[in-house]
Amino acid sequence: MSALLSGTNVVRNYGATPALRGVDLAVDEGEIVAVTGPSGCGKSTLLHCLAGILRPDAGTVTYRDQNIGLWSEAARSRLRRTDFGVLFQFGQLVPELTAVENVALPLLLAGSGRREARSVAAEWLDRLGVAELAEQRPGAMSGGQQQRCATARALVTQPRVLFADEPTGALDVLTGEQVLGEIVRVARELGTAVVLVTHAASVAAYADREIVLRDGVLDPTGLGLGVAR
Amino acid sequence: MRPSTLTRLAVAGSRTDLLRTVLTALSALLATVAMLCAATVLSVHGWADRYTNPLLVEPGLRPGVAGTLILVSLPVLALAGQCIRLGAPARDRRLAAIRLAGATPQESVLIATAETAVASLLGSVTGLVAFIVARRQLDRPNFYGQRVLPTDVLPPVPVIVVLVLLVPVLSAWIGAFLLRQVIITPLGVVRRVRTRGPRPWPGLLIAAGVVLFAVPGQLAEQRSFSKNTIYAFLGAGAVLTMAGVVLGTAWISYAVGVLLRRYGRGPVTLLAGQRLITDPWNGSRTMAGLLTAVIAGAIALAYRELLATEFRSYDIYNAMMGWSEGGVGAPDEPEFYYGAVRLVMVAVALVSVVAAAGVLVALAESIVARRRTYAALTATGVPRRTLSAAVLLQTLTPLIPALLLALAAGDALVRLIETEIPIGNEFRECVERGLGGCEAPRHPEMATVLHVPIPWANLALLGGGALLAVLVAVGAGLLVLRASTDLEELRAG
Repeated sequence: MSALLSGTNVVRNYGATPALRGVDLAVDEGEIVAVTGPSGCGKSTLLHCLAGILRPDAGTVTYRDQNIGLWSEAARSRLRRTDFGVLFQFGQLVPELTAVENVALPLLLAGSGRREARSVAAEWLDRLGVAELAEQRPGAMSGGQQQRCATARALVTQPRVLFADEPTGALDVLTGEQVLGEIVRVARELGTAVVLVTHAASVAAYADREIVLRDGVLDPTGLGLGVAR
Repeated sequence: MRPSTLTRLAVAGSRTDLLRTVLTALSALLATVAMLCAATVLSVHGWADRYTNPLLVEPGLRPGVAGTLILVSLPVLALAGQCIRLGAPARDRRLAAIRLAGATPQESVLIATAETAVASLLGSVTGLVAFIVARRQLDRPNFYGQRVLPTDVLPPVPVIVVLVLLVPVLSAWIGAFLLRQVIITPLGVVRRVRTRGPRPWPGLLIAAGVVLFAVPGQLAEQRSFSKNTIYAFLGAGAVLTMAGVVLGTAWISYAVGVLLRRYGRGPVTLLAGQRLITDPWNGSRTMAGLLTAVIAGAIALAYRELLATEFRSYDIYNAMMGWSEGGVGAPDEPEFYYGAVRLVMVAVALVSVVAAAGVLVALAESIVARRRTYAALTATGVPRRTLSAAVLLQTLTPLIPALLLALAAGDALVRLIETEIPIGNEFRECVERGLGGCEAPRHPEMATVLHVPIPWANLALLGGGALLAVLVAVGAGLLVLRASTDLEELRAG
């Protein structure tokens, strides 16, 4: 059986600076994969390429046997509101919208009615334990609450793959572990695969498998943080 | 995306977004009122002595009045479009977050332009209401039933509907046009930068404009042109010249930037020079309305000087012929024409104020967009006055030569029509052609040639006024710089 998502010989440069120099990675249905490595090794670039945010300069990114690197920008954007969820360290919530509007956004963009989208969004806020913040704006929430809302937004469409780039990097250790625990719990409930970029051993410990990047290539020794299950 | 979602995302925003919406709506209101006034003037038919204003009475003058009103509405519309960049960093973050949630690039541009369209529509509808109310309030005929303004006519309803809808469509289009260099990605907003500096080819546009403007005057003896053909040549010549000056400002900015980098000493010239080299088109974008107004003003002032010379020639001719009453020219003719020129100058002043507001918006946006760099420079010890001086220098150094070019171009166009008026040749020409009834002048010694002077003082006032308007705008913009160099900016997310 082929992998749900795979990158083959993925190359990406920023001008003359290579960020990825031929990376291979496969993610199966419901699998949680941690991508670790030192700063500047290309972890985030790999995640952006796999999520269709960036187009690789060479190599292929295949999702359900389709090379999404060949898709248009608009088609890849639509994928992010149906099959992919994206979670960053910060900056992903629209500051001017309330929590429930933020969570409802992917559904609204996909053409859902306002009432229906708000109702589904409210359920997700409840699921992540922040139902009481539905009418609050991100500026009035703590970092942990914002990240729970962002998680609800990333999962509201019940994506097949969740891409999380240092999702707890801006949180204290305790809050970070709580948020990550919820992300993993909900992902497992939904059968959603997770690609988790981190340089924290405690975060990588939640993954089924860990891959290590160094200078834009996979570390052949596989000696990363060494704590994945 | 459903229209309700689009509207919700378009109107979401902070206080800066509210300010942008208000400014956009206000610009659209003014543009709609100006366009409705122009349409009303054009709805008056035939000889209209039911008005006391002579500019409305003659059918031949009314297109000029309507044209002046449209001239006012254009920079106001440009301002409405330009407002799209106000508060850009916060809006950029919002659009990037929406892109991350799955919006396509087209949808994110649509959200940004819909915001302008919604605000403009609000403004244009308010403008229509204001126009109708003002029309009713100002409709006060005198004892003879004459009115000062055409408050007794209305443009056809379809024309009104088209104008009210045209304003939001145009401002949204201008907004989208200004966003064409902006790429909204899920990771943030980046701007495309042209790597090649501008070339001096707009000089060719100015040359072509001058040639077209000169055609009717220079070829008048060889062949006769219809009135419409003459207007077409003059109009096309003026528009090409204006476009040449506006686009040429980019090359001027670039050249000034290179000179500042090469010969300037100190950080002020270094910062200002590099900004001009990096984005030379900024001057063209922000100063377009102002430079167009200055060219129109210079044309009006030069034409006024030509008229004054012509009226002086009438007086000399009448005195030479010994005509104490009657003679060439009506007594109230000069005041009528000077009144028309004054009207154009009022429009130019209005346009300059609006254009200066546009400069302020653009300047504030460019400062806010670079606030972290400015804050970092301040943190590393660069005095705020150095940054202020750099902003002032990068605005004024290309503006002054561009203003001089605009004044010279406007004056030169009118000088192509006439530079001197000979008086007293009529009797000799009449005799030479063998025409009967030639009347000999009583004072032939008064025959002379009047040179049309260059209105240096008025041109200096016009240029100085435009410069002052920009200085005020830059002064207000520097207040934004002060807030933007606050070290808190380095901590802002």
